Formats: sequence, C-alpha cells, structure tokens
Amino acid sequence: MKTGNLLIPLAVIVAGIIIAGTVYFRAKGNGDVLVSQTKTTTEKLEELENMNPITGDDHILGNPNAPIKIVEYSDFECPACKLFQNIMTRVMMSDYGKSGKVAWVYRHMPIDLLHPLNARKEAVASECAAELGGNDAFWKFANRLFELSLSNDDTDIKIVIPQVAREIGLDETKFALCFESGKYDAHIQEDLDNANATGGTGTPWSIVIAPNGKKYPLSGTQPEFAIKQLIDRASKGI
Amino acid sequence: MVLRAFKKVFHKPAYVAIGTMTSLTAFVFAVWLPNIGLVVDVLFSSGSLSERFGLPLSLLGSISTNFSIISEFYIIATAVLFGMNLAMIIYFFKRRSVGFSRVGATTGLAGTASGALGIGCVACGSGPILITAILVSVGAGTLTQFLPFKGQEFSVAGIIFLTASIYLTARQIESPAVCKF
Repeated sequence: MKTGNLLIPLAVIVAGIIIAGTVYFRAKGNGDVLVSQTKTTTEKLEELENMNPITGDDHILGNPNAPIKIVEYSDFECPACKLFQNIMTRVMMSDYGKSGKVAWVYRHMPIDLLHPLNARKEAVASECAAELGGNDAFWKFANRLFELSLSNDDTDIKIVIPQVAREIGLDETKFALCFESGKYDAHIQEDLDNANATGGTGTPWSIVIAPNGKKYPLSGTQPEFAIKQLIDRASKGI
Repeated sequence: MVLRAFKKVFHKPAYVAIGTMTSLTAFVFAVWLPNIGLVVDVLFSSGSLSERFGLPLSLLGSISTNFSIISEFYIIATAVLFGMNLAMIIYFFKRRSVGFSRVGATTGLAGTASGALGIGCVACGSGPILITAILVSVGAGTLTQFLPFKGQEFSVAGIIFLTASIYLTARQIESPAVCKF
C-alpha cells in the first residue's frame, strides 16, 4: 500500500480521536469563567456537591419545600438566560409548579468577560429589589428586567433599572441608596464563585435537585419538555 | 462531474445509509455536547429503556433553544457534509485500493476537525465548546472571545474544508483508474 493510502485510515482514526477528545475535554473542561483542572465526568458530577445549600436568603419561586428544586445561575444580560426565564416561567405556571412539586431558585452568575458594564449592576439591583420588597418584588423585578433587557450589555441600565423599580412600586430613593451602596457586591461574587465551583461553564447554568438529594447538571437553555423530563426523572431519583 | 459522482455513490442504498447514519450521529453528538455529562450519566444509569433514552432524546430539542440560528446552520451543514464525505470516501476505497489523493484526505480531516472545533451553543460564556475547552486546558480559555466571530470562524472553515474534500473525492471517483508511466 502506498503511503498516500495510509492517510485515509489515519484520517478516520484521527477523526475518532477528535470526537473522543471532544467528549473528554467537554467532560473536564470549562468555559471562560472557569478553572482549568483535569476532571473526569464523575468528578464533574461530584462538583455539583459544591453547591451552596438553599436557605431562606435565596430567591425562591414556588413551594419552598418542594421535593424538586431547580437552582439556576443566571446573568441578566445573557440572551440565553432571557429565553430560559420564559421557559422556566412556563414550567412553574404548569402543574409542575402549581402543584408544589417544583421550586425555582435564582442565583447570580454575571459574566464580566461578556457583559462587563451591566451584568453585576443588574444583579445588585435585583438584590435591592428583594431587600425593599421581599421575594415577590425580586421575581417581579427579574422578570421585568429580562423583558426590557436588550442583552449583551446593550441595555441602558440608567433608564431601565429605575424604571423597573418604579413600575413594581419600590421606594425610589431607598432603592437608589441601596443600589449605590455596594452592600451586595460580595453576595454577587459569592454566587458567581459558587457557580464556578459547581462546574458552571456559562449561563444559564442549572442544577436540578431530586428528593433523594441527587443533583443533575443542566447547561444552557433547554426546551420546556426536556426540563419536564428531567423533573420526572429527578422525582424518581434515578 | 460532482453530480455524476453523487449519483454513482448515493444511488446505492448502503451508501445512503452510511451517510445518513454518520450525519445523524454527528448531529446528535453536537447537540448533546453542552450536556454530555448528563447524557452519559442518564444513558448508563439504571431504569427502563424509555427512562434512559427519554431525557437524552428530549434534549435534542435544544437545537431550537440552545443554539443560535447561525450555530444551527453550522451544526446541520457540518453533520450533513461529514456524512456525505465519509460515504464517498468509503465508496472510493471499495472500488479502488490505490490512489486516493493525499490532498483530499487531508482536506476532509481538516474539515471534520475544524467543524468539530466550531460547535458552540448560545449559552453565554460557553463559546465554541471544544476549542474553548482546549484553550482552557492550556490556560487561554478566553481567547475565542477576542476573535471577530467568537470562534465561529472554525465552523466556517470546517464547512469550506468538507466541501472541498467532497469535491476532490468526487473528482477522483469520476477520474478513470489508469496506470501511469
């Protein structure tokens, strides 16, 4: 066989290596906001155990004692998160949420590399909304902010954030003071660090927690029926 | 010439099957890639077949939610071209045992590699998944963000290489097998 003919089997082998490499690197790798250690798929799943426990300080939509919880790490300037917000809202409006079977927990994962201007400020603003108006105000603020956000740092937050605060009935003076205080900066960073520690590679990054404590990673914006499938699977704990 | 080669190869059901299966495999793999850990965990878990395959199958729906329109195009185009390319190369080798172009093989390989490197989902910060993971492993994970199209250049290159490889393979299928002095 001529040397040239060896190129084809070689090409097939290398293509196989590329595919295997893709699985391997994906299993161990992370995105831009992430660490660079070598990790197996098992280790990657074990990272989920680094998730900070859900407490009363979390922003929870639905039954706080729901057997299944979906913890989402999100960024207000991320267009994928904007779409995921709509999808998760539909999930929560369905029997899954209404029956108290599922609770949705929102945490922050502002990606400075992509959205250096707005993401953290919007996260802080949402915390101020929660401080002044409670859990309901947080969710109203988050939903409305996602509605008005142009994403990818194109949102004019000097106009939009005060507008949302006004629309949901917050005290504008107190809100402005809170927003400028920097009191939630550390909390936002803590959420972001925790997202990275759990293996988050980008937003939206979600962890579904089963009644038996098993955790399932969910990366990106998945369709409603896939999320419901995962909830069904989690409810069985398999 | 290319069309004649297509007709030769793809009027045989076996090669249609090879091309289709390869394309489907590449497509499914690309769509699962952002959640490959979860997919592997579920597929190899306990439970009935429907429990093991239900979630992975439903995740295929993320082609419409987790990828931008341009990424969807790249994934589908790369998968289809990869399947066609492989089927044509196999056809060529079944017919002839010698003489496949080094250029054609290299171009096909480059197309596959580049296309795989360019797969990326719309999730913010993820970028093209494989190239980002490789760059992260060498401590340069943010590099793709500085490219004009955030790493999607690899997808375009992949489509160009695969198309060129198909063209070169078609030309060889159509060229007569002659012994040269």
